[in-house]
Amino acid sequence: MTTMTMNETTPAVEDRAAELRDAQLDARRKRIDRMFAVLLAIQYVAGILGALFVSPYAWEGKVRVLHMHVWVAILGGGGIVLLPLLLAWLKPGAAITRHVIAASQMLSSALLIHLTGGRIETHFHVFGSLAFLAFYLDWPVLVTATVVVAADHFLRGIFWPESVYGIANPEWWRFLEHAAWVAFEDVFLVWGCILGQRELRASALRQAQVEHLSEQEQLKSAALEMALAEMQTASA
Amino acid sequence: MSARRIAVAAALILAALLWTTTIGAMVHAIRRFESTPGRAADALGSWPAASRIPRAPGEWRLVMLIHPHCSCSRASITELERIIEHSPPSLRTYIVVYRPSDFAKGWEKTDVFTSASRLPRTRIVLDQDGHEARLFRGFTSGQTYLYDGDGKLRFSGGITLLRGHAGFNSGSAEVIEIAKSKAGAGTHPVFGCAINK
Repeated sequence: MTTMTMNETTPAVEDRAAELRDAQLDARRKRIDRMFAVLLAIQYVAGILGALFVSPYAWEGKVRVLHMHVWVAILGGGGIVLLPLLLAWLKPGAAITRHVIAASQMLSSALLIHLTGGRIETHFHVFGSLAFLAFYLDWPVLVTATVVVAADHFLRGIFWPESVYGIANPEWWRFLEHAAWVAFEDVFLVWGCILGQRELRASALRQAQVEHLSEQEQLKSAALEMALAEMQTASA
Repeated sequence: MSARRIAVAAALILAALLWTTTIGAMVHAIRRFESTPGRAADALGSWPAASRIPRAPGEWRLVMLIHPHCSCSRASITELERIIEHSPPSLRTYIVVYRPSDFAKGWEKTDVFTSASRLPRTRIVLDQDGHEARLFRGFTSGQTYLYDGDGKLRFSGGITLLRGHAGFNSGSAEVIEIAKSKAGAGTHPVFGCAINK
């Protein structure tokens, strides 16, 4: 029979630690998928309410019609949240789900910024969303979100610069400046994800070692009991 | 592959197609809506004599037509405030607020109206049924005119970059430049709701 101390590991313990870590990560990511599903739905409703409050109607003299922003909030916002909600429901915990959620969350930011008339304060939604996405402890998700923000700024900077920078002829590199602020936050969030994964791994390893030691103790006790029983039989 | 798996895959592919199509269509619709200017004023070269807005010889006048319920005009008011701040104090501003006579009293008292009434060196003129707008031959909320001391039109157009977008733009920059230098003339597309068809 082999014996081990708390700090020693065997391939079996490492396999068990990996199994525990994967199970914990999977449960965590499924919970966060559900959290984002609720958040996306709330944002969708908030977008519609915001559009109804800020710009409910467009007018032509005495005649009013529903403002384009209300339609955009209902149809466009609905289109943005449809796929991530379906994925969170049908494929919770899958990598594709969190990447689509990350992209949709950034697109929701862009929509909310637009519906509030480009208010600079609404840009905080982007930074808050990145922090929420870091809960997944999966740094490539942050890369997806950043690429969506950068692509949005890059493409709009080429085809519709006024809508994103407020001027008609911004410098070609302006999107890089905006993306750099997002990358600034990303550096610390990625670091946080790596640390979080490391802690999770260490915690899973400790749990696997405790389980293994406990199994060994049970085996020892069983062997001892058997030896005692044999001795009692022999003396009788 | 089970029937459920096929159904899930089909639903996700359909949703992915809808997702990308919606995003593209949304960007296109917003861009079209916001970058399409309203009808430009067919302004006369000089101050309309029949207007009830007072005009003293030698004084420059800035006039803006506003539909009080046009949410896009908040941006025009924001830009107007910037123009007033950067223009000579002698410039007098008049905001002509559209008001249909068959609508309830107070219909015009919106946040756009309140913001306009708080601007410095500015007077509000209630425009029953768009009569004044017709004299100035303007059709779109946000339409701005700058007249010099001789009553000659120096600027006619909008002072926002897009519909509902405040921020630096060549329209408001031109108005400030003309008002400061007392020279030149200019025009710019106007973005906003229709006042007179």
